[in-house]
Amino acid sequence: MTESPSDTAASAPEAISTNPLFEYAARVAAAVGASAHTVDFDTIKIRVTPDQWIPALTTAKHELGLVHFSYLSAIDWTNDVEVGDPPSEEVEERFEMMAAVADLTDGRIVHFVTDLAKEDASIASATAVYAGASWHEREANEMFGIDFAGHGHLDNLYLPTEFEGNPLKKSYPLLAREVKPWPGTVDVEGMPESEEEAEAPTTTPSGASTENPGR
Amino acid sequence: MSIDQESLRRVAEAAVSVELETEDMTLNIGPQHPSTHGVLRLVAKVDGERVSGVQPSIGYMHRGYEKICEVRTYPQITAIINRIDWTSGYANEIPFIVAAEKLMEIEVPERAQYIRLILTEMARIASHLMFMASYPLELGATTPLMFALRERERVLDLIESVTGGRFHPNFNRIGGVKPAYGSGSATRKTIQDLPQGFLQGTRDTMDAVLGTCDEIESLVTGNEIFVARTKGIGVLPPDVAADYGVTGPNLRASGIRFDLRKVGDYLPYDRFDFVVPIGQTGDSWDRWWVRLEEIRQACRIVQQAVDGVPSGPLQAKVPKIIKVPKGEVYVRAENPKGEMGYYIVSEGGQGPYRLKIRSASFSNLSMLSWILEGVLVPDIIAIMGSLDFVLGDVDR
Repeated sequence: MTESPSDTAASAPEAISTNPLFEYAARVAAAVGASAHTVDFDTIKIRVTPDQWIPALTTAKHELGLVHFSYLSAIDWTNDVEVGDPPSEEVEERFEMMAAVADLTDGRIVHFVTDLAKEDASIASATAVYAGASWHEREANEMFGIDFAGHGHLDNLYLPTEFEGNPLKKSYPLLAREVKPWPGTVDVEGMPESEEEAEAPTTTPSGASTENPGR
Repeated sequence: MSIDQESLRRVAEAAVSVELETEDMTLNIGPQHPSTHGVLRLVAKVDGERVSGVQPSIGYMHRGYEKICEVRTYPQITAIINRIDWTSGYANEIPFIVAAEKLMEIEVPERAQYIRLILTEMARIASHLMFMASYPLELGATTPLMFALRERERVLDLIESVTGGRFHPNFNRIGGVKPAYGSGSATRKTIQDLPQGFLQGTRDTMDAVLGTCDEIESLVTGNEIFVARTKGIGVLPPDVAADYGVTGPNLRASGIRFDLRKVGDYLPYDRFDFVVPIGQTGDSWDRWWVRLEEIRQACRIVQQAVDGVPSGPLQAKVPKIIKVPKGEVYVRAENPKGEMGYYIVSEGGQGPYRLKIRSASFSNLSMLSWILEGVLVPDIIAIMGSLDFVLGDVDR
């Protein structure tokens, strides 16, 4: 749990009594044989191994009543980022696959997550369990370069066929910015009571700065 | 002469009953077809008038929001996400702002929550009125367009009077809503609240919208052509809808009474009395009817909310430079088109490490191949129109 600092069910005993989601998350985790589970800000994450991916989703759909396929996506965890801020502390290089499935009665949504190695990332396709996974897997394929075994037609959803690269990878630069630098000064007057901040433009990313306003 | 005619008839009958060698034709619909609500292309295989397979081709509106949000700050992102579903720009902001507030553990003042709720429901009314205008138009009825757009304009005027924007309000701030002249500023102490006459104007407009709903219903319900083109067309069974992640009015039309306003806690909907309408069969007619009924329910919510707007501050205390503590959260909301959610991965910086945007129309549209299998060519338009998608919401 390198990326989730707060309470696992075991480490927050006082919260178990107040938040029914803890008990629910523990039940789901036990049913799918998960290696770990967290409930942060009412967001349930159930961590499984890549081998358990399809069995866990099958159990969720047919036994736990999580019939609604919400979405599937990935997070690119890397310490060497091309754009944006790097992680606050060192992380293990990996793709974190996530599939969110929900019930249609009590409003519970569960995120199943699993870690994939960066090199030749591949996982079994969930389309046989949830038909709705098809487009989401195509999206993850073109955006992260993750292969979904058994999907069948992983052609690009958004990008042109001849497009090279996987834009949502952290190693992929924002090309528009490299081709054309930010053209000039941003005409924003500083906040009246924060003059000391206005004099140090590097601390106000949206304010008066000749730098690109998007950091 | 009569014998000749009789033999001619026999010959003609014989010619008709001959098995003809036909080939499937590939029909390209879009990307500029009016009923595609943006730029969507359908590659349909047709066998005569019967569609044997459809391959939707999306991506013409792809703007790479998830990537660009990784290099923007949280206040900048609200301006971007307004553009996802432009028929209800205000509603797009809510789940993102609530998610960021959850990570920062900010308690939003009641008055701000009520204003958010009123404007969200107005965005729902505006979005559904757009559907009330466009859907009959696609089926050949032009009059409901005039009725619906007239009232939509009044609703948009109200949104504009509060936020300053008709389609892209960018009105939410982390911790509350935007005071017009900047909070806490020494030289500009004036904090503009809801504009003068807004509450009474809202009451009048809601009455007008309810009246227009009756008018549209009487215009359309008895229209034989409309009924013939929608009843029993494009039936979506509830299990298929759940499997594909269909949400919102499209899901409820299939008979599933599920509304995130009833089960979620992102805005104080539990204080208001409203019902969640559902359809019987899940056909295009039900999808039309559910949206009409949802306008009425949204009006009821707004009417109750304007009567009970509490006084108080518009914003909680937030630091000048927004930094969201490290953590991950998923917040979803019932948008006019369905479930809209944001998964924020924060690493403690001024912008997110990763922002996953779960938009309603993307999942709603992903079952298009399934629902268009075996329908007649003109029904493509009738079914697609009834799904009420926006391509900005599909491509992001």
